[in-house]
This record gives sequence, C-alpha cells and structure tokens, in this order.
Amino acid sequence: MPDVRITGGCQCGAVRYAMHTPPTDCLICYCRMCQKQFGNIFGAFAAVERKDFEITRGKLGRWKSSDIGVRTFCADCGTPMGWDSLDPSRTNTWVSLGSLDNVEAVRPLAQWGGEARPSWVDEVIAMPVGITGGGDAAGYRDADRIHPRTHPDHDTEYWPPK
Amino acid sequence: MRQYAIEASGGCQCGAVRYHTTAAMDNAHICHCRMCQKAVGNFFAALVGVPKDALTWTRGEPATFRSSANVERGFCARCGTPLFYNDVTSKRIALTIGSFDNPELFPPQAQDGIEGRLPFFDSLHEIETETTTEQESEAWAAAIKASSNQHPDRDTAAWPPQGGHHA
Repeated sequence: MPDVRITGGCQCGAVRYAMHTPPTDCLICYCRMCQKQFGNIFGAFAAVERKDFEITRGKLGRWKSSDIGVRTFCADCGTPMGWDSLDPSRTNTWVSLGSLDNVEAVRPLAQWGGEARPSWVDEVIAMPVGITGGGDAAGYRDADRIHPRTHPDHDTEYWPPK
Repeated sequence: MRQYAIEASGGCQCGAVRYHTTAAMDNAHICHCRMCQKAVGNFFAALVGVPKDALTWTRGEPATFRSSANVERGFCARCGTPLFYNDVTSKRIALTIGSFDNPELFPPQAQDGIEGRLPFFDSLHEIETETTTEQESEAWAAAIKASSNQHPDRDTAAWPPQGGHHA
C-alpha cells in the first residue's frame, strides 16, 4: 500500500481521521438534504474506501437522514463530517471537504442536486472578496480571532493543549 | 448595514431545533476563513445577521462550541447541522443561510476571508455535471425521498410526526 496519509477532523479536535489512500471521487451537492446537513448552499464530499479510512481520535456522531444513509458530525462542536451508506456492501464512505486539514488537497469534479441550486450561485462566486481583518463590511469578520480554540490543521498528540 | 422586517423560519436537518426571526440585516455573505470552513465542514460558511431581539428559538435549544474568546458556533447536538455564528458581545447573531426553510431569501452580497478561499472556487460553477438528484439516480433518489427523516421546510406543530418519522 502506498504511504498515503491524508488527515482531517472537526473544529474542536475531538474527532480526527486519516485516509490511507487518496479519495476516489469528489463532488459538491446542492440537494436540499445536503444543504441542511451543512447549513449551507451545498455539501462538499470526497469518497474514500472504507478500508482506507480510519478514525484516529474520538467518535463520529451519526444521524440517520433516511433509510439509505447516515449524516456524520462531531457531537462536541457540530462540524459536519460526512455521509455514510447504510448498505454494508458498499465499499466507500464520504468525508466532508472542509474537515480536511488541507482543503486544497481535493478538488470537486462534479456537481449534484441541481434541483435545489440557488438561482444566485454564479453571481456570488463572481463577487469581490475581502480579507479577514481588512474591514467590517459584514460586521463579523474579526471577532473570532481572539484566543481561537480551533484544532490546528495537522495531527496532534493530545488535545486540547494542557 | 441596514435592518429590515421579514418573517422567516429555519432549523436543523432533523427538526429538533427550530427558529423564527422577524427581522434580518442586509449583510448576507459567505466567509472563506478557515474557522468558518471548519465550523461548517465546507469551503465557506454562508451567513446572514439577524438582531438577537428579533430571533426566537421555537423548538429545542442549539448546542454551542466556543470557537474563540467571544464567539460561539451553534449547532444541533442531535443531527449536527451548523446553525449560527454568535459574537457574544454583539446585538446581532449570524444564522447559516442553508438552515433557513427558504435559503433563496438571502442571496449573499459579499465574500469574506480571501486568505482561506480555495483556488478552484471561482471555477466551481464551470463544473459540467449539473444534474438533479432524480436524474442522477432515480431509484436511489426515490428511496431517499420515501424514507427521509429530514424536517420539512416549514414550521410544524409537532415533530417527528406521530406514527412515523417520514413527512
């Protein structure tokens, strides 16, 4: 097996995982169920073989969104972690892209769920972008920079720091 | 930033936590910063401010994670849906746009956090495959629809419904 280790986890660091092979698929999904799971315009997922996916710290929260699958998350901080089929014969599971330590490691190759794609998505993508700390247009940007408790984007021996 | 009157409800995926607001700010935006990415497990958070005195939690209570000294991230402890960004020193709270029953009401007007913005973000809309869930896999979509435990996109008197989860 190639020596691959792609890591990630939730915001607070209670749940950490490692992939031991690169993802086999990657997509964003606008369907209303993915929107709700992520509280967002779309969900973003990478597929990895179950045998190559390891939870290295903590335990995934699981909520059965239908008879087909389970939405996974961190029960301590809420970070959406992925989607898992209830079909035991399926060989893969899906991991939320934003939970990866290196979000740039995987690029979406497909869009699903066109029926719920908001009409303004293209316009939003084209809008100018501000930098954190660069102003107060939205009124929120800087408040979350004081003593942040987000887990760093790499594996840690223990967490939170003593 | 301007405040305007609106009647809008929303909540988490499973329906254990529901809210209603009678006003919103005209600051709908997406934020690419790494802390928002982690909070919502995605490339960005989509948020809109509402005055705290206009917001009512109509069912259940959100769980929170204190992401920094003055900010808490709200979510449903049962199903995980990210619900808000709350600067505890502010008179406003930012709700996740995707948790509203009708996210179309809040088209984002700005993007923040360019330092965390993914290089492929501006070409996301060019990804060709844009099918509906039904077109992608009819049988699969039908099976999900028939057994969905997701709360409907409207207020409900009781949830889950008596005699079954499926609405």
